[in-house]
Amino acid sequence: MALVLSKFKDSLFRLGPLILLIYICISEFHTQFYYWAIFSFNLQFIVIYYWILRDPDILGYGFVFICGFINDVVLSLPLGTSALSYLFVSLVAAYVRNATVRTSLFTDWFTFVIAVFIGNFIYFFLMNRFADAGIEYTTLFYNSLFTFILYPLFWSIFEAYKKITFARRND
Amino acid sequence: MSTSRDDFGIVIRSALLQRGAKQKFSLFVLILLSLFIFVLDNSNLKPIKILRSLINDGIYRISAVSSSPIKFSGASKDFFVKHIFTYQENERLRKELEDLKSKDFQSSFLEAENNKLQDVLELEKKSPYYVVNAKVILDKNSPYLNSVIINKGSNSGIKLGMPVLNEGYLAGRIVEVNFMSSRILLLNDLNSRIPVTVSPSGTQAILSGIGKREPNLEYLPDNFILDDKENVVFTSGKDGVLFPGIAVGKIVLEDNKKLVKLFADPDQINFVSVALDQQEDSGAR
Repeated sequence: MALVLSKFKDSLFRLGPLILLIYICISEFHTQFYYWAIFSFNLQFIVIYYWILRDPDILGYGFVFICGFINDVVLSLPLGTSALSYLFVSLVAAYVRNATVRTSLFTDWFTFVIAVFIGNFIYFFLMNRFADAGIEYTTLFYNSLFTFILYPLFWSIFEAYKKITFARRND
Repeated sequence: MSTSRDDFGIVIRSALLQRGAKQKFSLFVLILLSLFIFVLDNSNLKPIKILRSLINDGIYRISAVSSSPIKFSGASKDFFVKHIFTYQENERLRKELEDLKSKDFQSSFLEAENNKLQDVLELEKKSPYYVVNAKVILDKNSPYLNSVIINKGSNSGIKLGMPVLNEGYLAGRIVEVNFMSSRILLLNDLNSRIPVTVSPSGTQAILSGIGKREPNLEYLPDNFILDDKENVVFTSGKDGVLFPGIAVGKIVLEDNKKLVKLFADPDQINFVSVALDQQEDSGAR
């Protein structure tokens, strides 16, 4: 019984990032705030980029696709917009993972700029070209900027989380 | 040079086509699938619309359930904040009550006078609308859309473009209708444009969302001057979609911009009424 419980806890820990990603896509979790109008960030990009780069077995591409799909429904975007954007962020992460041997916070952080740029460009292009929706460019810029600035913070949190999960697995 | 280009090709091909031990699909397949779904969704085919409507209904329900912890924490915070500021609130209300008492006599007189004038002119008295009351089940902002989801849809007679009221004030309009849910585009959304009338001058303008809390008044005449009294904004109904005379907000000046402080606070919308039609028997104004 204890063994089953321990295994269950382990798998729950490993599913943590996936649960987090699904939750921020499907719930009212706000990353856009009125009281400080310029502050908004894309937590989905951070979660996807970090986990695809560091441990792709935890966050599969299929789940990234489904989360994008859910996000489109919740935000009333044309279906496939977020999925494409997230998959391109995953592509950059997969590229960096294949091209580099040893990664650090700084390599992750600076390659993350490319991922954010491509991800938001896909969003912007599809929304502008097909969705006929107005876009506030400054909002998009600040969103990208704060997503980039906050990456190290979430990197540290995820690193700590990974260590805990790894320690549990090796116990 | 060509070697580095080859390396790039190999790595990108590997990233696109490689599947990990637990991956069922490669990135390439999923990108193609996303593109296919995107094209289908933009094709405006009726079966696709129906399918999307069903998907929307399902996901909104799940979303509403999964958001309940966030809503609960928000409500708890509001509860504590309200208790902390009860004293100040009480003082403010006391002053407000005194002011209102002094105005009461004046307003009673004006009301009587107004009724009398309406009788004389045989104007039809303002009537309420046929409404459907709904609850906001999801309120999620994005850089692209300020909208909320309500728990009533086409099964309750809701149609695209219908005005949505919150405590009698305009909160937005319906932009998406599913069978059991609908989406309201709030007045402060970047894509919101509403024809309005400024009272008491009767000046026509367009209320445009700018993605911030207060929308902006556009297309005002060059010689427009704000009245000394409160400048209240109402719907003009010039678009033929919204009913005229619904109160929207009050004009406030900010950096020489004429913004409108909405009566229906877009952050505090929990219950709404969708105006289906105006009641004909009592006569709409």
